[in-house]
Amino acid sequence: MIEYIIKIKRKTKSLLRDPWVWRMAWRDGRHNASRLFLFIASMITGIAAVVAISSLNYSMQQELNRNAKELLGADLVIKSNKKFDSTFTALLDSAAVQQAANADMASMVMFMNTGQSRLVKLTALEGDFPFYGDLITLPDDSYAKVRTGRYAMLDESLATQYEVSSDDSIKVGSSIFRVAGVVRKIPGGGELTSTIAPVVYIAFSELDSTGLVQYGSRVNYNLFVKTKTEQETTDLLKRLRPEMKQRAYSFDTVEERKNDLGDGFRSVYRFFSLLAFVALVLGCIGVASSVHIYAREKRDEVAILRCVGSSGWQAFNIYFIQVFALGLAGSVLGAALGVGLQQLIPLAFGDLLPVELKFNVQWVAVGEGLILGVLISVLFTVLPLVAVRFVPPLSVLRTDFNAERVISKTKIVTLFLIVLFPVLAAAYQTRSFLAGSLFTAGLAVALGALTAVAAVLLWMIKRYFPRRASFIWRHGMANLFRPNNQTRVMLVTIGLGAFIISTLNIIQSSLLNQVEFTGNSNQSNTILFDIQSSQREGVLKLMDQYQLPRNQVVPIITCRLASVKGVPVEQIQKDTSLRIPNWALTREYRVTYRDSLHLSEELVKGKIQWRGGGVVDSVGVTISDGMQETLRLDVGDSLVFDVQGVPIRTFISGIRKVDWPKDPPNFIFVFPTGVLEAAPQIWVAATRITDTQNANRFQQELVMSYPNVSLIDLRLILSTIDELFGKVAVVVRFLALFSIITGLVVLAGAVLNSRFARVKENVLLRTVGARQRQIVRITLIEYGYLGLFAALTGMVLSLAAGWLLATFFFEIKFAVDVLELLAIAAGVMLLTVFIGWFNSRSVLNTPPLQVLRREG
Amino acid sequence: MPDIVLAAENLTKSFPSGEREIVVLDHVSFTVRQGEAVSIIGPSGSGKTTLLGLCAGLDVATSGTLSLMGFKLNAMDEDDRAYVRNQFIGFVFQNFQLLATLTALENVMVPLELRGEKGVEARARELLERVGLGDRTHHYPSQLSGGEQQRVAIARAFITAPKVLFADEPTGNLDEENATRITELLFQINREEKTTLVLVTHNLELAERTERILQMKGGKLVNERILTVA
Repeated sequence: MIEYIIKIKRKTKSLLRDPWVWRMAWRDGRHNASRLFLFIASMITGIAAVVAISSLNYSMQQELNRNAKELLGADLVIKSNKKFDSTFTALLDSAAVQQAANADMASMVMFMNTGQSRLVKLTALEGDFPFYGDLITLPDDSYAKVRTGRYAMLDESLATQYEVSSDDSIKVGSSIFRVAGVVRKIPGGGELTSTIAPVVYIAFSELDSTGLVQYGSRVNYNLFVKTKTEQETTDLLKRLRPEMKQRAYSFDTVEERKNDLGDGFRSVYRFFSLLAFVALVLGCIGVASSVHIYAREKRDEVAILRCVGSSGWQAFNIYFIQVFALGLAGSVLGAALGVGLQQLIPLAFGDLLPVELKFNVQWVAVGEGLILGVLISVLFTVLPLVAVRFVPPLSVLRTDFNAERVISKTKIVTLFLIVLFPVLAAAYQTRSFLAGSLFTAGLAVALGALTAVAAVLLWMIKRYFPRRASFIWRHGMANLFRPNNQTRVMLVTIGLGAFIISTLNIIQSSLLNQVEFTGNSNQSNTILFDIQSSQREGVLKLMDQYQLPRNQVVPIITCRLASVKGVPVEQIQKDTSLRIPNWALTREYRVTYRDSLHLSEELVKGKIQWRGGGVVDSVGVTISDGMQETLRLDVGDSLVFDVQGVPIRTFISGIRKVDWPKDPPNFIFVFPTGVLEAAPQIWVAATRITDTQNANRFQQELVMSYPNVSLIDLRLILSTIDELFGKVAVVVRFLALFSIITGLVVLAGAVLNSRFARVKENVLLRTVGARQRQIVRITLIEYGYLGLFAALTGMVLSLAAGWLLATFFFEIKFAVDVLELLAIAAGVMLLTVFIGWFNSRSVLNTPPLQVLRREG
Repeated sequence: MPDIVLAAENLTKSFPSGEREIVVLDHVSFTVRQGEAVSIIGPSGSGKTTLLGLCAGLDVATSGTLSLMGFKLNAMDEDDRAYVRNQFIGFVFQNFQLLATLTALENVMVPLELRGEKGVEARARELLERVGLGDRTHHYPSQLSGGEQQRVAIARAFITAPKVLFADEPTGNLDEENATRITELLFQINREEKTTLVLVTHNLELAERTERILQMKGGKLVNERILTVA
């Protein structure tokens, strides 16, 4: 026997050095692109979501940087809630910087053309504000006119709403102003602020003539300063800071405003980017699922290639090149779609953005999307494709031959990277490793909880299987338990989408429920404030005249803290270790006095202790629980209030839990009766108005007789909150829809995955005499169940998550709109049935023999 | 002494089935000389396809040794065995086993392309001409009849000028007319290329065209040159 002494010279060729695999990838792939449609769809949705949100963020940052000074209108703004004292203004004058000023306060305005009135933010301007950015008015000379005397400008939306034109007049306080024009744009303004509080502008010199500034009026004074350089601002601030601290003035610089807006936007961005990330993670599941199906379909071809001498790696590389190329194409398409969507998002919630966004492509976001796409194309395709390497060539002889499962190094490394991927990706998305890790952990918990709920549901279905139901219903349900059906995976993926949407819905319901107190029969929906003591009886009489109930008539006394626990406020300010925020120490407190708890209050600690109770020269006051934590106070701790220059020694006798939105006004500090009655005070009255016409007449007479008294219509606030939430909800729903779409892509993949088993079953059923209609019904029922259980899975968890969020995060009452949740469930169910049916058409509509031949 | 290209010694293949071990091939020993045409026959479940799989390096024996072209297949890993198959072996299967996404020409070229050889298209065209499919080079398997697909498979099997050709029921899926044509073609090219042929078949008539017949039964090689098939 002659032994062939042939040393194997085979060398493992790398992917790049093996032209054959590239050729084969092209040849095989040219007819297979449609088979990887699910893969591309998953990539597109995931990447589009990420690119859209990321682009929005970059555009926003760019605009914030570009328009930083315009956001403030000056280099420095100094703020106070009392008039700036002359020593301070003299100090500022000595710095020889350009100055402008304004003062703003809440006030009623009556539109003389219609007699309607409304609470507005009255802003009195002085000087050449703004120093940066534009004050755009219509007509152009409106501001020039305002500076000449009794002229006013209105926010454009306010003028439109009340049909006010340049010839009309408005009554502000006790003065009548001619309308000079409308304000279209002003630094620091914007649609959001004008939605919450529309502004009326007058000249600073005319403020006193309105008679609005009286005892107890809340007026904010701002000084706008323009410097020549940033260094000058820094130096000026350094000089002014101790003076400002002493007087409890605050300040705002361009950088701070930019950061504040940036921080606010960043929080929103983080939330949205995490939603986009959920879509991405589901996209990854879709990618892995579709490549898994593809690899399974390719098993026979791989066996042939192995038979004619291809190595495992070569076979792997052929399909890897295909999915990688398609992944890249999907990423490019996804990025393009993301860029398109980015332009749509500002349309949906442009009012909520602090700056106007211009159309531009954010190449960094596009690049990030592409890199992310490439990473996903590699990570999430390698795992299912690794199986290709181990397809036994013996399969060509025995199709049912299954090789032993191989745990390869590639598989282990890939699994490790897959676990690491969401942590790093989320960390990058949120720009915080901690947030990324927490989010990934949260997502893992959510997925784990969804899996657990799905498992319990499936167990219950098995346990309480409807054995007496008709064959079609039983069979449809039994199909859920078909081997390799991935029912649990589908319950989790579709359930995740349903979870996001229904959690959002629950939070929205809870928030709205919180402010919908106006709908409750006895609670107040209108607050009258700034009533002077001399006006009290008159206003109450007017309320009686219009048959409006006196739900609350409470006195308000303004005061400040002088010392806390025996330590003067000035000393606490210097001691940074105490960690009591400066604003809590220096703010003006509006307190009241009464003998009982209000219906919105609950005493959680201590007692409502009256004057002299236990401590002879001290007064027991109660404090709200939130401020008690901020000021780090407990029952028994002493406080000294400065009430209009008179020090009043108190101690905390009790802590109240306050349900703030419930039947306002509510208070941080409540004094007992018999202490503050003699102090200067104003009054607040709360009533309930149900008849709109009656309300208008009352409002009109109130403004005419008591111009300084303001009226807040809480229904108006409710509709504003509803409008704002509606705008945010559109965006959140839009992004949650991405998750749903990706979940459905996974479903379509899973349906295709179980196609072989379905074909065999259907053919068998048809062979034993099942009619086409019956098979279609069985299929629809199966997907109906799947959709229903997926929706249930998501909703069970969303009820839990909604309760947790409402109770501990928003600290509001948990509320559910059952009808809306049912509508979401029905929507998820219908979509699932549609996708299931759509992907089963070929199996349902083809004759059994043809199907058998094709599949065989 | 004639050259031995294939030598099996006490080849045994067993599979675990629950707690039992099923022996599908039981201590089979035989040799095949270079250029010889050998057929393996036997009833269903006798182990003939398992034996072919082992001989061609598609599977590994549980015990015993197998030498193909001097290579101890049992001692090699799957990728090395794939290399040996590519260098020395050709296959013809009952189900043709063509790559559905490749044209007839591309299917034939694959083994040589895998070797990294250049100018393989001309050789593939020539072989397709020889099997009578010169005008169907750009057709996909689904556009060809069963007989035509098997002719493409034969062309693919011979393109590497293999030392050994393994054929598993090459006419099993064909009608009589096509079966006859394929048999003629297979033996003709085999003769011309001086290839060693190992043929697994139920078809005694086909088996009789080989020089030697190995008969399998119950996983054992029960006879040589015996023509009766159970």
